[in-house]
Amino acid sequence: MFEYLRFGLFALFLVSGLFIQLTSLIGVNRFRYSINRIHAAGMGDTLGLLLISVAAIIYTGFDGVTLKILFILGFFWLTSPVSGHLLGRLVSETDEHFQAEAEIWKR
Amino acid sequence: MKKHKSDALARLKNWLEYGDDPLEVEMEEALGEEEAPPIPAEEDAPEWEEREDRKALAPKKEKHPLYDKVYRIAAEVISLMLIAVLLYAAVHMPNFGGADTLVNSEVSAFYVENTLEETGAVNIITGIILDYRGFDTLGESHVLFIGICTVLLLMSIKGEKDEEQRIFEDAYDRHFEPRHDEILQTATRILTPLIVVFGIYIIVNGHLSPGGGFSGGAVLGAGLILYQNAFGYLKVERIFTFRTFKWVSACSLLFYSLAKGYHFFTGANHLESGIHPGVAGNIFSAGLLLPLNAVVGLVVACTMYALYTMFRRGDF
Repeated sequence: MFEYLRFGLFALFLVSGLFIQLTSLIGVNRFRYSINRIHAAGMGDTLGLLLISVAAIIYTGFDGVTLKILFILGFFWLTSPVSGHLLGRLVSETDEHFQAEAEIWKR
Repeated sequence: MKKHKSDALARLKNWLEYGDDPLEVEMEEALGEEEAPPIPAEEDAPEWEEREDRKALAPKKEKHPLYDKVYRIAAEVISLMLIAVLLYAAVHMPNFGGADTLVNSEVSAFYVENTLEETGAVNIITGIILDYRGFDTLGESHVLFIGICTVLLLMSIKGEKDEEQRIFEDAYDRHFEPRHDEILQTATRILTPLIVVFGIYIIVNGHLSPGGGFSGGAVLGAGLILYQNAFGYLKVERIFTFRTFKWVSACSLLFYSLAKGYHFFTGANHLESGIHPGVAGNIFSAGLLLPLNAVVGLVVACTMYALYTMFRRGDF
């Protein structure tokens, strides 16, 4: 019974993670403007990776590998948003038609 | 702001009391309130003359009709012969997955059986590339060095342009770079130590676990590039300048060459090192493999950073 439950959880997390990754992939390729593409790419690297990591942790059980997976997750959560931020900043500074494509909130 | 103290004891006391980092203070004084340089207008660009003299300097083509004809025919014949030889060899290749193929020959079986005993390396790949095939790896690290020397020759802007033009290009190049980006700097503060420690771990554990000089050196170089991106050239120059690059690369390659030369003079049979091999599985085991891994890692890290900075700015 417990094994079935565990496998069901694992499959649920893996499939939802793959769905998020697929969404992000389609978004990166289909969106028209760079800011939107950055948004789509960042989603796959954070939420999709989280779900897949949880699935991997459930599959392997809690041991040394869990720590490694968590390290990978932390690394990606640190780096991926930062690179997205830098890309967005570069776009906002270099694109001449930025106003027309994106709404800017003045603070 | 505290004045920079040269006295070692005072500096230690300062460090213990969580005082200002003297180097940090110096840096802030040097940087001052730096603003992003404005984009210079295109019209303000100093006019530099086109490098037409290069064409003039190039040797003139002399015409040798007979030589040209023979050259063409010979080139085609040699290419066709090479194609024929390769096709012949390809036809006579053993079947994929066959039991008597080269992959399953006695060589790989020998490596699997004897690497741990002869070289002391738990990681068989490191034992092969640094011991049995150490000459090949020596060539690879020298190829890296030759590559970076060529890039230095081609891309270096030292003494190439006049000062006015260089300042203009520097300002134009640096306007869009992320300067004083708080988010990037915070992430880098957390990540760079981790990346560097991980790179050192890969290098030092090269003979025990997957990894080694090349991959660890790439990680180290990536950490240095990340740090440079976040904090700029002035901060990197505290630890890594052209002098560092020169000396580290040259000394590493010299050490490797000396070790390899010694290996040749003792019969080129096996990397004899006078060092006790130690217990297999310990960090300090496997004789010369650990220093050679470290040396290769240093060369790769220096080359990565030098390539990056040469292509980005043309200067250290």
